[in-house]
Amino acid sequence: MNLVVIEETVRRSVTSIAYVSYVALVGIISLGVSRFDKPGAAWPSLVALLAYIVGCAPIGPEFSSGTLQLILTKPVNRSVYLLSRVAGAVCAVWIATFAGFGCELIGRTLWSDASRIDIMGTALIHSLADTILICALLVFFGSFTRAYFNIAIYFVLMIGLSVSQGILAMTRAMQGALGAWLRAHNIVDRAIAAVERNLFTDAPPRLDWHWLLMVLTNAALALVAACFIFRNREVPYGAD
Amino acid sequence: MSGVRVRALTKSFGTHAVLKGIDLDVAPGEVVGLIGPNGAGKTTLMSCLLGFLHTDQGEITIDGRANDDLRIRRRTGFVPERMNFDRRATGDSFLRYMARLAGVARTETGVRVNAMLERLDIAAAAQKRLSQYSRGMLQRIGMCQALIHEPDFIFLDEPTSGLDPNGVLLVRDLITEQKARGAAVLLNSHQLAEVEKVCDRVLFLSGGVIARAETLRHADRIVIAVTMLRGSFDPAAIARVAGAEPKDNVVIASVEAEADIAEMVRELVATGAGIVDVRRHTADLEGIFRGAA
Repeated sequence: MNLVVIEETVRRSVTSIAYVSYVALVGIISLGVSRFDKPGAAWPSLVALLAYIVGCAPIGPEFSSGTLQLILTKPVNRSVYLLSRVAGAVCAVWIATFAGFGCELIGRTLWSDASRIDIMGTALIHSLADTILICALLVFFGSFTRAYFNIAIYFVLMIGLSVSQGILAMTRAMQGALGAWLRAHNIVDRAIAAVERNLFTDAPPRLDWHWLLMVLTNAALALVAACFIFRNREVPYGAD
Repeated sequence: MSGVRVRALTKSFGTHAVLKGIDLDVAPGEVVGLIGPNGAGKTTLMSCLLGFLHTDQGEITIDGRANDDLRIRRRTGFVPERMNFDRRATGDSFLRYMARLAGVARTETGVRVNAMLERLDIAAAAQKRLSQYSRGMLQRIGMCQALIHEPDFIFLDEPTSGLDPNGVLLVRDLITEQKARGAAVLLNSHQLAEVEKVCDRVLFLSGGVIARAETLRHADRIVIAVTMLRGSFDPAAIARVAGAEPKDNVVIASVEAEADIAEMVRELVATGAGIVDVRRHTADLEGIFRGAA
């Protein structure tokens, strides 16, 4: 890891008015919803949205803008740079995570409802891990594409997997050879469901170490693949 | 230190061969210009040298090491034709980041950044965002980031593009300073006048090969062109003094040092020649460009 790159990545976020406003909004909303019954319900979604925004910036867009070419002439290993950018992006999102968690905790303490700390703590741990997976996947998609194609691929894949499961369910219900084949071979459904569960997973309501292990393992695999691709990638300047 | 060395470099994009066996040397303390028409492969060559592109065949070494060796990167500076970075960053914060990435110690960063900003005459804009910089200012800050760690190997891609005349002079001075410091400089430029003024050698790249190489400045001698009044000189006498026959009314002579120029001129005048003009002689780059393109 390169601390200079991590610092710079965090600096770019925290000096952005949009980012600061968003974190403030996360805090205010978390404080507001702390009066409601369901703990840890609002800020994880807001934080995930921020993870998409912050996490899509490394590598792909830098390739297109020419920033990457400037960086690669410096004495920084490509993999170290990639991992440091992800670490910086994750840190920037985690600031919002802790802001949301902290504000909700303050709110619940003020309204004498601090007993829900276990559920909130679970949401915090799950949200922290989920941020790593989102950023890792976005940087993986960015390692072989340009501009903001990473976020496009992410959502197309996420929506595509859900849609394809629906189409498969309808096709399976149909008469005919294809429907019969799908009914006999559910490996296709299972494979698609497994990919979706691994990449675009919803956090379980209770602390689930298996889920955490799966998320962190998938993030690690995405980062290893991203490092491998990025290390061998050609980055001509004036590329776009 | 052994400088930049390229041997038999080839690079293709698909079936299109862009570089077809490039040999290139840039010695420490030497400025080499890279000129050629659009599409000649200059940018591809620069990209290969900087490790942005993988080569198909051939060898690139910088000071005896691979060009992507981090120890070499620490000693490399690069000015892209168009400087791109996070436009919300101020000039000062951008340079601090670049300096730290280049391995400048945190304690030294501030001093070096301020010195570079002063040197490139953009200290007043240090706290402005890069989005507020003009093209020329971006080019100047691009020079700052490339030179802030005093690199030994400098790659400049159109460094004077977008600069006003003052900026051009500044860049010219900076290149001369780097050369005097012992840096090996490769300058890719379309501005032939600038190349002529700062480069020791020039390589004309055309169709993916070095079509012509010219020495503009010799390390051990100075070549001068002496223009004489027509009809005032005896060609044989001039040839005896200058060591070369005059062509038309111009004789090209070489001396060992600047102090010898006056002596040479005195000797030419002594033969009865009327001297109209004496200037340092360099290759006619425009002529080469037109002829070889």
